[in-house]
Amino acid sequence: MKRAVVIVWLAATSAVVGAAAPAEAQATSVEAIVLGSAEFDGIEITVEGELVGDYGNRDDGTTWAQLNGGSYVTMPLREGGARSGSNTGIGVMIPAGLAEGLDPAGGYGTRGPVVSLTGVWHHHDPDRGGESYLEVVGLDVIEEGRALSQPIAWWPLLAGLGFFGAAITLRVRSSTGES
Amino acid sequence: MLIRPVAEDFRIIGFFMGRVFAIFTVASLVPLLWAALAREWHPMSSFALMAGCYAALAAIGLRSSPKVRRLDWSHGMTVVALTWALAPLVGSIPLLLSGHWSGPLDSYFDAMSGLTTTGLSLVHDLDHLASSINFWRHFLHFLGGQGIILAALSLFAAGGGLTLYHGEAREERIMPSVTSTARFIWGVAIVHLVGGVVALTLVGWVTLGFSPMRSAFHGLMIFFAGFDTGGFAPQSTSLGYYHSGIFEAVTAVLMVAGAMSFGVHYALWRRNPGSVLRNLETRTILGSLGFTLVLTIVGLAVTGVYSSISGLARAGTFQLLSAHTGTGFATVSSAELRGWGGLEYGGIAIAMALGGMGSSTSGGVKALRIGLTLKAIGNQVRRVLLPDGAVVGTGYFQGSRKRLTPELAQSVMAVSLLYVALFLLGAGVGMAYGYSLQHALFESVSAGANVGLSVGVVDPTMMPAVLKLVFMLQMWAGRLEFVAVFALIGFLLAWVRGK
Repeated sequence: MKRAVVIVWLAATSAVVGAAAPAEAQATSVEAIVLGSAEFDGIEITVEGELVGDYGNRDDGTTWAQLNGGSYVTMPLREGGARSGSNTGIGVMIPAGLAEGLDPAGGYGTRGPVVSLTGVWHHHDPDRGGESYLEVVGLDVIEEGRALSQPIAWWPLLAGLGFFGAAITLRVRSSTGES
Repeated sequence: MLIRPVAEDFRIIGFFMGRVFAIFTVASLVPLLWAALAREWHPMSSFALMAGCYAALAAIGLRSSPKVRRLDWSHGMTVVALTWALAPLVGSIPLLLSGHWSGPLDSYFDAMSGLTTTGLSLVHDLDHLASSINFWRHFLHFLGGQGIILAALSLFAAGGGLTLYHGEAREERIMPSVTSTARFIWGVAIVHLVGGVVALTLVGWVTLGFSPMRSAFHGLMIFFAGFDTGGFAPQSTSLGYYHSGIFEAVTAVLMVAGAMSFGVHYALWRRNPGSVLRNLETRTILGSLGFTLVLTIVGLAVTGVYSSISGLARAGTFQLLSAHTGTGFATVSSAELRGWGGLEYGGIAIAMALGGMGSSTSGGVKALRIGLTLKAIGNQVRRVLLPDGAVVGTGYFQGSRKRLTPELAQSVMAVSLLYVALFLLGAGVGMAYGYSLQHALFESVSAGANVGLSVGVVDPTMMPAVLKLVFMLQMWAGRLEFVAVFALIGFLLAWVRGK
């Protein structure tokens, strides 16, 4: 009897401790989510990537953005990275408080902040008309955003002006010839 | 016997192509100005090169000054076919120089896809593309969708305009003259441009919480791609980027407006909805929309892709509308679309092949041809079943009362069969490269019907070069509805083998 009480006590204690300790979120990648979205439905995950596009600050206190994975995150195209295909991205819904102070999202002149997001993945969420997105509960900035530059290439500009000049000369000569 | 073209034939063709390239020169100054205002100097420089090339081609063409400045049917069709092949080649220069495309073939593919309002893309890292290049991609949709030849007609009132008008696969002449029809079509586009961009910008700003400038940018891009049933999007996740039912609803209205024939626009503008509802084409497209929507929704429900009615209705309806109008926006990824099987896959593919209305910005077989084909088959069945001497009505309503003659039925069925052949060509080449029949056929229909939905065959890292060329041919021939393409082939044959 005494032994049974001890076992019950141990089981109850471990259950309580287990519930109190934060469950380990499953680490995954954006590509894995895009390829197997349904498998992650309702699961807490941690995923890394670059925030790109816009921060949509909505009235319900959430900020929406796109998190991109893939090789462009580690080596942007504009900094000599290889052309490795289309982007792979997922929608993320971040509580506005967590999104405050983030560097501008990635775009032409900007490499967006690289972040690690923890949250619950919703596959075709019935409450949001079937959308799929990550409901973020934790955000860590791994790498700050930075400016990307692309210096002007002079030869296309000069060649273009040259073609324009030739076109105008041709037209003027044609007009003179016609008259 | 083929008659070999003489120098005067080339001068006429060159002269009218010069006029169209003059329009392209002016059009290419818009992205150049955009790049300058956005301080995107690298793209600005490439737009200068593109504009210079268009200007040089225009000057060379106009210099040919033929004796007769009127186009006959063959010349007009050749001008249209050549312009639609050469204009995207020059238009691909900024794409190539941006570094986001693998090479000249890929950037040409995207420019062709843009001008033909297809929307398939071989771009790398779209999410870091310059806004001016993005603008140019979407602006190509607008130029192609509204008909760049139409622009030439509106401005120059060119002699022989009717043949150019038909060459761009437009059949309805709404106003007494082709020039006034062209101006009406551009008027419709401008009214929708203002209304559509304002509506999308407001949704982006007020509902989605984007900054006003970015809302306007997204509004303009999605308008171009939606109303002109193109399908490019400024972000890699297409319409799924916005996570907004309202944004999708406004876009859906624009897609439907774009897929409506300009004759229907005219009837609505004249407040004559009764005439619209009596049209064989309207009834056909409503029927095909209903049929393919049921297929898609039932398919999605049976396979359990969506667990809620709202998800089924929203995603199913939007995806189907996107396919049927020939737009190609997606709210799900290519990877997920690839996983759809059975009825919903079939529903979407059939909708893509059928397309929108004739004389609209969408591609595909078109509702009028489907309606006339069904009517011709129905008449044939009736003739067999009814007693000898019974009269079978051959009339139909399309703006006015018309007669379905055997010649019309034959020509309609011939073009429909050509579309089937075009779809099978791409599918066959795709299968030869190891793609499954399901995926190869889906993507081939998407290219030939100028839709742009993709299950991943069009991929910038893996797509074979020959398949790219075949898809480009499909986009080009599908957009011009074959006639201009055959006329060009005939012209070239006459040049080589004529006497």
